[in-house]
Amino acid sequence: MTSRLLFVALLIPAIGVAALASAGRDGIVSALSAQAKQDNSKFTSFSAEAGKKFWFTAHVGGKSDTPSCVTCHTKDARTMGQTRAGKAIDPMAVSANPNRFTDPEKVAKWFGRNCNTVLGRECTAEEKGNVITYLMSQ
Amino acid sequence: MARHSEHSLGSEFFIWDLPTRLFHWVLVIGVAVALYTGFLAPASWLGIHLFAGYAIAVLIVFRLVWWKFGFEYSRLAALVAAIRRLPQFLPALIRLKPPHSAGHNPAGSAMIALLIATLSLIVVTGFMVEGGQEKQGVLAGVLDYAAGSTARNLHSLSANLLLGLIAVHLAGVAVETVLQRTPLVRGMISGRLPLPLHVVNPAPRPARPLAAAFILSAIAVAAAPAALALLRLPARGVPSAPLNLAYATECGACHNAFHPSLLPRQSWAAIMAHLGDHFGEDASLSPATAAGIAAYLDRNAAEAWDTEPANRLRSVAAAEPLRITAAPYWIRKHAGIGAATFAAAPIKSKTNCAACHGDATTGRFDDQAIAIPPTQAKGP
Repeated sequence: MTSRLLFVALLIPAIGVAALASAGRDGIVSALSAQAKQDNSKFTSFSAEAGKKFWFTAHVGGKSDTPSCVTCHTKDARTMGQTRAGKAIDPMAVSANPNRFTDPEKVAKWFGRNCNTVLGRECTAEEKGNVITYLMSQ
Repeated sequence: MARHSEHSLGSEFFIWDLPTRLFHWVLVIGVAVALYTGFLAPASWLGIHLFAGYAIAVLIVFRLVWWKFGFEYSRLAALVAAIRRLPQFLPALIRLKPPHSAGHNPAGSAMIALLIATLSLIVVTGFMVEGGQEKQGVLAGVLDYAAGSTARNLHSLSANLLLGLIAVHLAGVAVETVLQRTPLVRGMISGRLPLPLHVVNPAPRPARPLAAAFILSAIAVAAAPAALALLRLPARGVPSAPLNLAYATECGACHNAFHPSLLPRQSWAAIMAHLGDHFGEDASLSPATAAGIAAYLDRNAAEAWDTEPANRLRSVAAAEPLRITAAPYWIRKHAGIGAATFAAAPIKSKTNCAACHGDATTGRFDDQAIAIPPTQAKGP
């Protein structure tokens, strides 16, 4: 009886946190979607397939040490990545790390830095949304 | 305790009392450990070196007291009297016909005086290096790094001198053992030596162990509170605050958050001014966060602290002033570690200080806190 109560007591906040995280992610994605429409009137919706292609592509224009997202984040987004300095990076896949893409400031900071490092330019809203959609599907 | 009649057996005479013999052999062990750990062992053995040093310090204090209260031949008076006979002894020694002596001969006595003086200098400078440079022990709250450095030079110099003195001491023992057929090593074990009756003191002063014990206790009672009071002082110029949270979080996201004392102010300022191209990556921060971190780094840069790394890493590499691992001191200290070791898990990078330095986040980098973990070669 007590354990069941405890389970429910723990479950409610867990669901709450998951819902909050999901709401945070939805907010970020819809903001990116609005921006993508503004940038490109033909934009309809984000594509996990395009996000996956972008994630694995060896880009040009950035630093030669880091041509691609998978250079540091590895080819399996559900596993830990590693920075060039050897520090561990938590998984990027939402299934493995439910807190991913829930903090708009953090998302803006890392896309800002990493797009510049890997591509030598800012990423478009469409590119960011595609990547997030791909990582939400992983 | 040391009545003469009791200790003379035939032509063998009791010369070295038990405390002197114990002192001698424990000192041999202590000096051997201190020399090995000082000259040959890796830096992480500093704890053993210090332990040997403390033991030698206690032995010397005991010996100085025993100079006053020991059996006849262990006394300072006997040592001084023997050294006074040096002008007659040396010419005889050169003719290879040195006269017998009870206890140390004049040359041996001079050697003992030199050994005790040198060991005392080594111990005193050792405490100063420990306090000033390593920021440990009783003088950590008193001495700065510069004083420790000066002491370090004297410590090395006198340790080298000690090596020479030990060689001459052993040679002297060998010469006397051969020339006079006096088994000195056995004498230092049993306390007895075969000697002609006329060189033996007919009225040796007995040892006074109770008086010595009283004086030694008095010294301990006086020294202990002083040592404890000194140990309570905070180490001079050693950071004690944890890393700034914003710094540890932001910078520690990609690499080990290096203690700010590991680079000079100018280097930190240059790093913070060019975060957009940070060792080949964009590490931009919001202006407010960057300003807060820059101020923290400026307040806690190498110039602000007096630890060994802070002192040594103030000199940066002219070509790469922003890279800690390019500093001449860093390179010298890590020269024995191969690139493969750095690359292997769990180290993975030269920047992963904490992989081997257990106290890396504090900025102390104590020698004893170094432990290179077992590494696995990097997979394909």
